[in-house]
Amino acid sequence: MINENARASAPRTSGSLQPTSDLLHSAFLLPEEPVIRIRPSRPFRFINLSEVWAYRDLFYFFVWRDLKVRYKQTVLGALWVILQPLLMTLIFVVFLGIVVHVPTEHVPYPLFLYAALLTWTFFSNAIASSSYSLVVNAPMITKVYFPRVIVPVAAVAVRLSDFLIASVILLVLLVYYGVRPSWNLFMLPPLVVHLTILATGIGLWLSALNVKYRDVGTVIPVLLQLWMFVSPIIYPASLVPARWRMIYNLNPLVGIIENVRASLFGLPFDRGSMISSAVITLLILVYSAYVFHRMEDEFADVV
Amino acid sequence: MRPIVRVRNLSKRYELRKSHSANPTLREALVGALSSPRARLGNGRSSRDVLWVLRDVNFDVEPGEVIGIIGNNGAGKSTLLKILARITRPSDGEIDIYGRVGSLLEIGTGFHPDLTGRENIYLNATILGMKRREIKGKFDEIVAFSEVEQFLEMPVKFYSTGMYLRLAFAVAAHLEPEVLLLDEVLAVGDLAFQQKCLAKMREVSSEGRTVFFVSHSIAAIQGLCNRVFVVSAGQVSEPENKEIAIAKYVQDGS
Repeated sequence: MINENARASAPRTSGSLQPTSDLLHSAFLLPEEPVIRIRPSRPFRFINLSEVWAYRDLFYFFVWRDLKVRYKQTVLGALWVILQPLLMTLIFVVFLGIVVHVPTEHVPYPLFLYAALLTWTFFSNAIASSSYSLVVNAPMITKVYFPRVIVPVAAVAVRLSDFLIASVILLVLLVYYGVRPSWNLFMLPPLVVHLTILATGIGLWLSALNVKYRDVGTVIPVLLQLWMFVSPIIYPASLVPARWRMIYNLNPLVGIIENVRASLFGLPFDRGSMISSAVITLLILVYSAYVFHRMEDEFADVV
Repeated sequence: MRPIVRVRNLSKRYELRKSHSANPTLREALVGALSSPRARLGNGRSSRDVLWVLRDVNFDVEPGEVIGIIGNNGAGKSTLLKILARITRPSDGEIDIYGRVGSLLEIGTGFHPDLTGRENIYLNATILGMKRREIKGKFDEIVAFSEVEQFLEMPVKFYSTGMYLRLAFAVAAHLEPEVLLLDEVLAVGDLAFQQKCLAKMREVSSEGRTVFFVSHSIAAIQGLCNRVFVVSAGQVSEPENKEIAIAKYVQDGS
């Protein structure tokens, strides 16, 4: 206490009055270069990946928190993750499989559907939850600093883990229908990575947009619904007339879903749609990263 | 001594929209862009009011100094802390900080009501910038300080306000950055809680930590701070005499 009072009334110029040795110690250890430089925002900067890496614990905890909370709040917990694509498959099998004959290259229609709906569910859920992630975490964003990009990416990661859980049912179906595994299966992990990057790109963009324009959130479910039907999910891409295929392939999901099926069922890969999907995904990612980064500095002021 | 925090020509301005609502919608933006493209491209700036929250602020802070920031509501105290905490960026100027910064602008940032006390300690400490290893090492200390041992496995939504505050402060008190930013965190809680916080803060500042401390509590400012910054109309000044400044602030602020 005596020290405190002495310090409080000490003229600030005399460093010699500072009492503790710890203090001198920390002063001597001041780094040559600033640890943190704060500057006005500039429109063109690169994402500081080393900083994002330094915050990897936070990324892990965001994912952990969302999973944990979900399993505490819902009765069925993990079961929902499995039920969502499964129920959709059931609905389409009943209402489409019976009424129309969908040409599926001898793949049983339920399996054909589930493979695509599982992929689609991951994609649409990832976009939906990452687009809301910044708004949902607004209280945190206005109180603590961390690389904002962690928030929407963590939202995608949560959905990726759902996808992996629901993949167990796919495995069961593959065994049930006696599908023989082929070398094509080795393309599956790269395709999932590709899909994750695409979802992250779109999620980044929409999450930033959602902070600025609140009605973006209302539009997203409608657009996702539309997107589902212009993707080869309940039908194969081969149903699309050849002269439209070029335009159809501009939908980056075409290349992913068609080739996910090809890798699972040992069918020939479709290179054309794969390449256009990769190019478009890359463009989306670069654009989203740019938009996100440009808006990032405003989040705390706008949210 | 070399400063640990160097602030040069710091300014922060907000552009206030005149015609648009606070939360614009995409529809409004699209309609606006379509109906008056020329206004948007040409002189979009002129339709906005500019509010300078901070203007041309300069100061140096040496390691181990405890700075009390006082001023009326809306003077820019919180904005200054938010810029130092990197939550928002300055419009102009530069700041160099020669150490890690921990900010505590609110008690219990990121606490999730459905998670248990134990889980929230990990979550909150990570949000405040601690590494998992660090948290593990200090976990028992944090729990002891919070006095909620028996309720550690209970979701914090069942905590009383006092328990919640103690747990949240316990986590924050164990942050160990070189520069600590605190915004009015002692305004909450009962007297016993405030005393405990003050005691802990005294301990923290005696360890040579540099602290920026926004408060309306005269006792806290007098007891803890060895320098006082007065924020007024976007300017930051350091009075010759701390006591007079505090007295003036009391007159102004009440």
